[in-house]
Amino acid sequence: MTVILHTLNAAPGSTAFSDCTRLLSSDDALLLMGDGVYAALAGTAAHKDLSNTGASLYLLEADAAAAGILSQTADNVCPVDFDAFVRLTEQFAKQQAWY
Amino acid sequence: MPSPESKSLLVVVRHAPYGSSLARTSLEVALTAATYEQEVGVLFMGEGVLQLLPEQDSTQIGVKNIGKLIASFPLYDLDSLFVDEDALLRHGLDDKNLPQDLRPLGTTAIQQLLRKYDHILGF
Amino acid sequence: MIYSLLVLSSPCSGQGSATALRFARAVVDRGHQIRRVFFMDEGTLSGGSSIVTPQDEINQVQQWAKFGAQSKTELILCVSSALRRGLLDASEADRYEKTAATIHPAFEISGMGQLIDASASSDRLLTFGG
Repeated sequence: MTVILHTLNAAPGSTAFSDCTRLLSSDDALLLMGDGVYAALAGTAAHKDLSNTGASLYLLEADAAAAGILSQTADNVCPVDFDAFVRLTEQFAKQQAWY
Repeated sequence: MPSPESKSLLVVVRHAPYGSSLARTSLEVALTAATYEQEVGVLFMGEGVLQLLPEQDSTQIGVKNIGKLIASFPLYDLDSLFVDEDALLRHGLDDKNLPQDLRPLGTTAIQQLLRKYDHILGF
Repeated sequence: MIYSLLVLSSPCSGQGSATALRFARAVVDRGHQIRRVFFMDEGTLSGGSSIVTPQDEINQVQQWAKFGAQSKTELILCVSSALRRGLLDASEADRYEKTAATIHPAFEISGMGQLIDASASSDRLLTFGG
C-alpha cells in the first residue's frame, strides 16, 4: 500500500490547510512546518480537525521553536528533527506539499 | 513509448491564473513532462480551478494567456485532467464551459488519484 | 535511495528555502544520494550571487553553494524563472546584453527538462514551497 507524506507550510484558515485536511487519510502522515505549526496548538479547532483525520501527525521542531509554541503543542503531534523528517520520507513514497 | 527510466507524475495546481507566477509554472511543468513522454496528470484544486474559466483575455495585463495554454493541452497529448468537484461548486464553475477532457472528482476519488502516481508535485 | 528536490521558496521570504537546505543535508547524512536540486519560480533567487544578507542572518545562497560543493550535488536554476528575475549566467548576460552575470558559480541554468529527468530517475521527489 503506497501512502502519502503531506507537508503543510500554511497557517490554519488558509485554503491549503482546508484542502490538506480534507484529503488526509488515516494511512497518511502530516508534517507541519513553517506557518503550519500553529495547527499543532492544543485545544484549537485546527488541531481537532487534523486529529479527526486519523493521520499520523508530526511537527518540525525548529519551526515550532521559532514560533514559540513548543510547550503548547498537543500530545498527538510528534516533534521531529531533520533526520526524522528524512526517515519519514524513506517510509512514505510520495509527498504532497501544501503551502 | 516512455523511456526505461520513467515515473508517473501528478501536477497539483492550486493557484488562480494571474495572481501568482506559480500558476503558469505548474502548467509548463506538466507540458514539459508530456513532451518528454512521461505519464503525467494534472489536478486542479482550490483556486486552481479558476484557471479553467473560459474567455480569459490577458492582453491588457501583458502576460501569457493561461486559458489558451490549457486549451493547447490536447496538442501535447496531455489529457489526464482532473478537477476537484467541491472547488468547482465553491467557485461557481460547475455549469461553465470547461475543457473536454476534464474529469470532476470527489474527495475519495482525489485521495485515490494521489496514490496512483509515482510522484506528486504540489504547486 | 535517490532523491530529487524541487525548491520554489524564496531564500528571502518564509522558511521554505532554509527547510529545503536542512532537509537536503539530512538526506546526505543518512547515506542517500541527491540526484538534483531544481530551483524554480522564486526559488531561483537562491542562486543569486549579488544577494547581501545581514550579518545576524544565514545567507542561503552561500549555504546552498557550500552544500552543493561538499556533497557534489547539482544545483539547477530553471532558465525561464531565472531570466525573469534577473538571474543570468555569463553567456545569458552576453546574449541579452546585460551588464553582469548574476548567478553564483555553484549553480547552473537549465530547462524544465532537468526537473522531468530528475523525476523520472529518482525514488523520492520532494517539493518545498511557501
